[in-house]
Amino acid sequence: MTRPPAFILVPAKRFRAVNLLALYCTHQTTPLAIRERLAFASREQLAKAYAELRRRCPDSEAAILSTCNRVELYLAQPGDDVEQTRQQLAQFLSEFHAVPLDEFVGELRSDSGSEAVRHLFEVVSSLDSMVLGEPQIVNQVKEAYRAAEEHGACGPLVHSLFQGAIHVSGRVRTETKLSEGRVSIASVAVGDFAKSIFDNFADKLVLIIGAGEMAEETLRYLKDEGVREIVVVNRSPERAARLAQEWSGRAEPWTDLDHWLGKADVIVSTTGAERPIIDATRFRKARAAAVGRTAFILDLGAPRDFEPAVGDLDDVFLYDIDSLRRTCDEHRHARSREIDMAHQIIAEEQTKFMAEFHRRASGSVVSRLMQDWHAVSKTELDRLFSKQPHLTASDRDAIERSVERIVNKLLHPPLETLKHESREGEPHGLIDALKRLFRLEG
Amino acid sequence: MPNVNLTCFLMSYLVAFGLDIARLRSKLAWSRWVALLFGGAGLLAQTLYLLLRSSQTQQPPLLSSAHDWLLVLAWLAVLTHLFVSLLDATIASGLIVWPIVLLLVGASHFVTSSPSHVLDFHRGWKMLHAAMLVLGSAAILLGLVLSLLYLWQHRRLKDRQMRNSGLTLPSLERLERFNRWSILVSVPLLTFGVATGVLLSFLGNHDAAPTWTDPVVLGGSVMWLLMCGLFAWLLTGQRTPGRQVAWLTAWSCGFLLFMMVGLQVLTEVTRMPSLHGNDSTRMVRPKSS
Repeated sequence: MTRPPAFILVPAKRFRAVNLLALYCTHQTTPLAIRERLAFASREQLAKAYAELRRRCPDSEAAILSTCNRVELYLAQPGDDVEQTRQQLAQFLSEFHAVPLDEFVGELRSDSGSEAVRHLFEVVSSLDSMVLGEPQIVNQVKEAYRAAEEHGACGPLVHSLFQGAIHVSGRVRTETKLSEGRVSIASVAVGDFAKSIFDNFADKLVLIIGAGEMAEETLRYLKDEGVREIVVVNRSPERAARLAQEWSGRAEPWTDLDHWLGKADVIVSTTGAERPIIDATRFRKARAAAVGRTAFILDLGAPRDFEPAVGDLDDVFLYDIDSLRRTCDEHRHARSREIDMAHQIIAEEQTKFMAEFHRRASGSVVSRLMQDWHAVSKTELDRLFSKQPHLTASDRDAIERSVERIVNKLLHPPLETLKHESREGEPHGLIDALKRLFRLEG
Repeated sequence: MPNVNLTCFLMSYLVAFGLDIARLRSKLAWSRWVALLFGGAGLLAQTLYLLLRSSQTQQPPLLSSAHDWLLVLAWLAVLTHLFVSLLDATIASGLIVWPIVLLLVGASHFVTSSPSHVLDFHRGWKMLHAAMLVLGSAAILLGLVLSLLYLWQHRRLKDRQMRNSGLTLPSLERLERFNRWSILVSVPLLTFGVATGVLLSFLGNHDAAPTWTDPVVLGGSVMWLLMCGLFAWLLTGQRTPGRQVAWLTAWSCGFLLFMMVGLQVLTEVTRMPSLHGNDSTRMVRPKSS
């Protein structure tokens, strides 16, 4: 089996071969400690990086994708020396970030030509993401494309590549169930459970007990659903006040916990206590005045803050980390069943992308060849007509049409062969032969 | 004249129900559309059937016979279900609605389909009486469906079974709200229906058998009283856990529908004298005869 060529033919004013390289380090291959040193964290840094790339590789097209999970550089430049491009990019990363090359070169991965295309298509479809099916990566790729455009780094190849990638992500999202089912604890808690209990969150009181990170994440989802009233109760009044301020809620003393337990509709608990702080008796007593009101309790503490018996009470829905994690895992499992279908779509789109590029590449050779031949015939006809002034306009017209037909008939067989080869794959041999035979680069 | 009979739409609804059950196992997108297609085809067939019956009996379906009356009730349930299913692709109302529809259509086979001549008098009032009762019953039917959906959703949430089931249910809060409204709407409709029924009994033919001993009238009155009690409890009672409300409405509505359909069947099977059954023609002779 032959390896696919590492370069792509790019239609341009002057027909040329271009090598496309994707150099990257991701969460799957590289520790965070290295990724964060190679990241392009700010807009200013990104602008400087594009300027530096332009200085180093003036004829190239480039795009940089830098997220918390990956740093990826896409570079397309004339020539077919992929290894040289790889070294250039690694050197650029090292010097730009002032990180010695030997500290990270072993962590870098690269793909070239059609494999680089496939890699970006997989990335944008979230197949390479930490959370399969997560939607943020599409926006991150779009943002990278926008930044590349803004810094004048895009050429025909990068334009087509990123537009193709965005199209692929759309297909994968709509034709597979890769994005179905939430996979983070907080999103499952709110999206799957809280929304199955409550219809409207604007009139619900949310009680936060403790101030863990996961409580904050849950608050973000609840806020998105329209929650307005948030009460934070914490043993540390300072931490309660900080969290309350951040989320436009109010902090209440720890001693009032039972009072707020009786009033809350949604309770999120992450105290970090060593044993449950609320048992069924205490909870029932606290809710005595709230009979008939539904309570949704999200116990994110490990160990748990609520005794499981609380969940047996009528109209109390208690979920702990384990029960939510089971749902997350099942969603992940369901998503993983869609991976094959996503790969199939990516393979289709990769083939289409490459075929389109070959068609356009050979198309530029065809038009160049025809232009040249017709220019030659026109020059010869002009010379003939100047030597034969007695020819009438209709004679000249007839001669011109005959010569044009001859040129077209002579060009037809080789051009048909070229078109056919383009459909089959990259017609490098033929194009190269045509270029050399007819001196198209002239 | 097209040859449409009960079996046509009964089978369509049965297939739609089967497909809705199959959706519990697999999430194939086509199965929803096929289920809707069969449901729609059944509805069309049922509409044609009712129209044909109406033209044959020269009576609107509501006034024609208990058979037509039950079919109108089933027709309303199917129409509502298909409308809701088109709006929400994942909602699983079919699993509750189809068995009730099948029960109503099945029951219609066992009640009289002969047109009642007693209804030739005070046609407008009788139309109003029947329409109010059928709409009130439809609201009760809706209440039953909503409370069953509530109990199902409650169970799923308690058992943490929200994932990968291939279907969704409305939130408990929404189901509770709609359930409450269906009961609150059903009572005025039934009250008006019963009131027009009482009025008709006074205006009715003096040759007729005593209306108050009519089992359907008796059952309807009990049904109305029960719904009034539920209505008053919902409006004035203390706040009660949603699950208890759902159980109470499910039992009440279920019992009422069962009684309503059961009495129709009973009067037919036992040939008990009833103004609302086939034998009414024996009880009341039109004055012109």
